[in-house]
Amino acid sequence: MAVSISRSNRSGLRPATIALPALLFVALSFLSPAFLSVQNLSNINGQIAALLIVSLGQLAVALIGGIDLSVGAALSLTTTIIVSVNPDFALAAALFAGVAIGLVNGIGVTVAGVHPLIMTMASMTFLQGLALLIHPVPGGTVPDYIAGLAWTSASGVPAAFFWCAGAVAIASFLLSMTRFGLRLFAIGASQASAARNGIPVKWYSVGCYVICSVAATIAGIFISARVSAGDATVGAPFALDSITAIAMGGVQLAGGTGSVAGVVLGTITLGLLTNGMNLVGISPFLRTAATGVLLLLAISMQRRNVIGV
Amino acid sequence: MITPTAHSPPGNALVAFRSVNKSFGSTRALVDLSLQGSPGSVHAITGENGAGKSTLMHLLAGVHQPDSGEIRVRGQAVRIENPAQAQRAGISTIFQELTVLPNLTVAENLFLGREPHRAGIIDRLLMRRRAKQALDLVKCRVDVNTYCQTLSVAEQQLIEIAKGLMADAEVFILDEPTAALNGPEVDTLGELIHSLKAAGKLIFYISHRLEEIFRFSETVSVLKDGRLVGTFPTSELTQDRLISLMVGRPLGQLFPPRDPNPRDLGRALEISELVPSDTERAVSLAINRGEILGFAGLQGQGQREIIRAVAGVGPHVRGRVIKLSPDNRVQRVDLASVDVARSGIGFVPEDRKSEGLYLSLSIEQNVALGMLRQLALWRRARVRKSGIDDLLLRMRVRSHDQAQPVSSLSGGNQQKVMLGRWLASGVDVLLVEEPTRGVDVGAKSEIYALLREFANSGGAVLIVSSELTEILGLCDRILVVREGEITAELDGVAASEEEIMRYALAGAAAEASGEL
Repeated sequence: MAVSISRSNRSGLRPATIALPALLFVALSFLSPAFLSVQNLSNINGQIAALLIVSLGQLAVALIGGIDLSVGAALSLTTTIIVSVNPDFALAAALFAGVAIGLVNGIGVTVAGVHPLIMTMASMTFLQGLALLIHPVPGGTVPDYIAGLAWTSASGVPAAFFWCAGAVAIASFLLSMTRFGLRLFAIGASQASAARNGIPVKWYSVGCYVICSVAATIAGIFISARVSAGDATVGAPFALDSITAIAMGGVQLAGGTGSVAGVVLGTITLGLLTNGMNLVGISPFLRTAATGVLLLLAISMQRRNVIGV
Repeated sequence: MITPTAHSPPGNALVAFRSVNKSFGSTRALVDLSLQGSPGSVHAITGENGAGKSTLMHLLAGVHQPDSGEIRVRGQAVRIENPAQAQRAGISTIFQELTVLPNLTVAENLFLGREPHRAGIIDRLLMRRRAKQALDLVKCRVDVNTYCQTLSVAEQQLIEIAKGLMADAEVFILDEPTAALNGPEVDTLGELIHSLKAAGKLIFYISHRLEEIFRFSETVSVLKDGRLVGTFPTSELTQDRLISLMVGRPLGQLFPPRDPNPRDLGRALEISELVPSDTERAVSLAINRGEILGFAGLQGQGQREIIRAVAGVGPHVRGRVIKLSPDNRVQRVDLASVDVARSGIGFVPEDRKSEGLYLSLSIEQNVALGMLRQLALWRRARVRKSGIDDLLLRMRVRSHDQAQPVSSLSGGNQQKVMLGRWLASGVDVLLVEEPTRGVDVGAKSEIYALLREFANSGGAVLIVSSELTEILGLCDRILVVREGEITAELDGVAASEEEIMRYALAGAAAEASGEL
């Protein structure tokens, strides 16, 4: 445990980050007999997979002190693209859109100097409009090969699990093994100091926004496969949810502190809350209200001096 | 080995600045400056704060680009757009403002920007091993896996030095590398510089610590107000000669005269058991009317935290501040409230641009804000123009027009506007951080005169300054702060630099380093 305490400086993980989902898990297994069933657990997995992927993208942006509100709209747009373009190019078109959105966000923030909140709020609104324009009414047909991505299972393990594992593996690899990951932490702590160490801060920042948007489109592909439809508003809650999830996972929105483990725990917490409220029979609208409260709690519980602000 | 000096032929120069100019807004930071350095030499660059030393080196390090003129490296004119390019050109910089990142480990910090890697994957074993070697070089005993936020400023500085010196470079820029170091650590740095020199590297050594200049360098260039005063072989100079080159005039004229037997006007402020933060110790002190009291000490010893706590802009854990009016009425100052200012205490922050002035507002509006302080919110804000005129005239603020925005003024005039605002609002205690940072010499002496005049008229002044000459020349009484504690109280007229440094560095370290 001694090691994890000295390491916690950069991960932002605190006892509460780990205790909260654990407590929820224990509480739910007592409150609802259905909770521990394989069916339900695999259900939760499917429900949080998209949020986890989006949140890991959000982590990249948060580490450098940015924020991306456009993830939800990018996700919605992806589902509409999937059902609207030639099935052969559906995946490529969606990923292309992700890269393009990220480039616009990133260049707007770093080169034009627009505040990330404003920049991504603008693109969020734009993309939302675009998605509704492309596909105003939920529906359409998702190509079979895409639908298969979310519904096949390998020896009883649902596809959603592999989506999660893949996303976590890629994110962990990038953050803890590569120069890219280390430099994100450096940029988040101080852009000026990072630049003086020869790091091309602008390119890295643009890269983070691209990663975030691409993560949102990948989540969009997963969602369209799962619900087998295009829906121009399906992504609406993802901006707030992903930010709440990473904040509960100990990620500092000011930059420089965060971990993949924290994001996973934060996402699980949100997922358990949703699932739990469902099982216990609480209105899903209350879940939205609870998310707002959770975000505020998570932010106010963060140590403000982690990066010496 | 024969070490070339400034008199070696130009063809021998590894780095040459040719008539470079650099301005920031209306401030001319570098004016038509030319100098050069040869391989296998230590070229010291010195001058007062704000003389342009760091700006000059920032041009070479790629932080800024010259407005005109050229930089030649190995005879080739180069344009260094960013720090990464400077590194590739073989220029390694140890920045004055530490670039050590708190959330990276020692090893990560040492290699940030040039991590040993295979296909983008960091080779952490190699990195840690080489980090240990680098730390051995500077004789710093910290674990390479510790996060840097837990290190002291001195340790961070050593890491910065290790990082800069182990780079594969031809030119090394050391910008005030010893600000937080004490004797033995400076000795180690001296050895390292010596071996770099022997290996044929060029070292630019920026410092205003005279002892180090004479110890390390064979050539010294003196800068003043962005211009080159001259380049000299160090051996031909004496300390006194170097000081007069830096200051450009005897110290005496810079500071207003002090009254050797000040009248007793009573206390102005009593600060008791003030604890700025949980990690700091309690301090108690009193400021008298009619005096200028100065906090001296190394940077980052808690002076700033104390003055900011008293001003109500920094945090405080506990403590009591009592203000006494001239007729000895007692008033308790609530540090937690925004309105320390309402008790007649003015605070002039170090960073006047972001914390002090409204840059886009005009001079008169900035001053008027002080005058209008006492008005109730709903009262009509009528500004007496003639009053401001008088004040600005008295303060010798140089401007075309009262309506011009403060951002267009020079640093010195901005500082005068800041002071003017407080004088207009009728405060009788002034807390001033770095009263003349980034201010030219002419304006300096005027600011000193203003502060003295304020004290003479019954006000009390507390200043924090990192410039010892300023503390020594201006203050009536000096408190030396070390690790958050007041370690000595000295008489301003009698105190010497050596004496202050002895208390600032504490026993053993001071013995070793002798003098500053």
